[in-house]
Amino acid sequence: MSMPRYAALRAAQTAISFFILVAIAFFLFRVMPGDPTAFLLESTKIHPETRQLLKQRLGLDRPLVEQFFIYFKNLFIGELGYSLYYGRPVTELMFGRRLVNTLVLVGTSTAAAIGIGLVLALASVRRYGSKVDSALTTFSMVTYSVPTFWLGMILIMVFAVRLRWFPVGGTVTAITAHSSPLEYLADYLWHMALPFTVLTLIEIGYNYLIVRNTMVSLLQEDFVYLARAKGLSEGEVMRRHVFRAALPPFATIVGLQIAGIFTGAVMTETIFSWEGLGRLLYDAVSTRDYPLIQGIFMLILAAFLATNYVVDLLYAALDPRVRLK
Amino acid sequence: MRLGESFRILFRNPYGRLGLSLIALLSVIAAVGPYISPYGVWEYGVCKPFEPPSPTHPLGCDEIGRDILALLLHGSRVSLLVGFTAAVFSTLLGALVGLVGGYFGGFVDAVLMRVVDALLAIPGLVLMIIFAAVLGPSLFNVVLVISVLSWPPIARVVRSQVLSLKESPHVEAARAFGAGSARIIFRHIAPATLPLLVANMVLQVSNAVISESALSFLGLGDPRIPTWGNILRFAFRMGAMSAGYWWYVVPPGIGIVLAVLSATFLGYALDEIVNPKLRRY
Repeated sequence: MSMPRYAALRAAQTAISFFILVAIAFFLFRVMPGDPTAFLLESTKIHPETRQLLKQRLGLDRPLVEQFFIYFKNLFIGELGYSLYYGRPVTELMFGRRLVNTLVLVGTSTAAAIGIGLVLALASVRRYGSKVDSALTTFSMVTYSVPTFWLGMILIMVFAVRLRWFPVGGTVTAITAHSSPLEYLADYLWHMALPFTVLTLIEIGYNYLIVRNTMVSLLQEDFVYLARAKGLSEGEVMRRHVFRAALPPFATIVGLQIAGIFTGAVMTETIFSWEGLGRLLYDAVSTRDYPLIQGIFMLILAAFLATNYVVDLLYAALDPRVRLK
Repeated sequence: MRLGESFRILFRNPYGRLGLSLIALLSVIAAVGPYISPYGVWEYGVCKPFEPPSPTHPLGCDEIGRDILALLLHGSRVSLLVGFTAAVFSTLLGALVGLVGGYFGGFVDAVLMRVVDALLAIPGLVLMIIFAAVLGPSLFNVVLVISVLSWPPIARVVRSQVLSLKESPHVEAARAFGAGSARIIFRHIAPATLPLLVANMVLQVSNAVISESALSFLGLGDPRIPTWGNILRFAFRMGAMSAGYWWYVVPPGIGIVLAVLSATFLGYALDEIVNPKLRRY
């Protein structure tokens, strides 16, 4: 299959995934109990005629299928409604400094976790079966098993409350006026230090385990035996054959990674009161702000499907065998 | 492979040994914990609020004077039960989807795999948070949400194995003898996927325990039933961190880590046994 054809096929599949997820969202937010309009409509205090009028105005008297297509259309024109709690458009709440804060936190910690995880995995595979390898593997499984929010709580208790090295939470110090942009940046980074550490630590283990295990399985492939047989040094075998072959799966990991780290971001931002999308989701969940929850759901959905699509194309470019299947 | 033999292989693996021992220990605590616990879940005022650890209350007290050790002992049972139940259901669901999709192929398979793709595309826990928020906070909903949203990876793994199994001679023989689809799937294909399923179910336990703790921590569980995540929720909301009440924050987390870690170790060891490529050479 040629690359453009593969891209088109994957685009179609992504569109189907999107459609399925929107259908799930429609079912969840419209049909399930908990829809705030249902509360109003079921209330006995409302005059039947008023209720009928309200139903008509909201389009709830139309067939479900029609409602679904209206829902879909509104989504496409970016009409996500108003937040019940903030009373402002959902889009306005999501796109703005919260999105930036999350992207900064998630972006930097993903990059750090990928870099460190890769280096550790390489160190481990080079000494496969040694003490260093077992120690690193055990360490990774431990970090992988620690709940993000608990690690955050511990770090706050030690580094913010006891040692007072870092602030307990927030994005910037609210009371001090920052005299220069540089000072603002320093304050911002100071607040970011702990949440950044939490997210990076949590994700290193995952990266490490995947890369290490991929490379260990590759060590037993015939082409590695051949490379050794023709007299390449162990370092060269690693660099030129094992590492190269481990790259395509790693591209997938990076894609999944971004998904995983966003999950971590919800918990981390909650703990550290980091003003990002994760914290916004937590607040929306606590206040049962359905339009806002729905808006964040749609944003996550679009972001992840797009990321997955790009990663898949990257994978196909790195490993042409994928396209032939 | 006989059961006894599997255990012996598992015990030879250091991770398997550690994981099995930890799981045994935690299961015993969960089973007898509520009986040996000195206090009930709702016995408050047995000590001063936030009293530090002392010989009478080894892990101190919470904000309404409840013994934290007692809460942990009661909570361990709920946390582990929720984790285990959700893991079993999600594994069964994943196995069923994988078997049906892989065996029948065609349109059914295409539809099922698109759903798998769609669910795998977005982070599981975020989806769980959103579902649980809409369904309303309850322990039943926590189990439901974890089960319904964790099966896609299992379905994918099982499906790929079914694809190769259904071409194998013993399945062909069964078909030649006139066995129906259901019989072939459940008698001749499903048993062969069992080792893989067990390894994956163990990993599902760690996923489920950690998901439960996160959902409870966010207030999506039942606030009246103590679980490790729930206890941490109250510690967080009562300002235990800024007041330095470490005895309220550290122990529940250690419980979660031990439970997840034991399942991770065990799953890893099982993976090495099931997947010969990972075996040490």
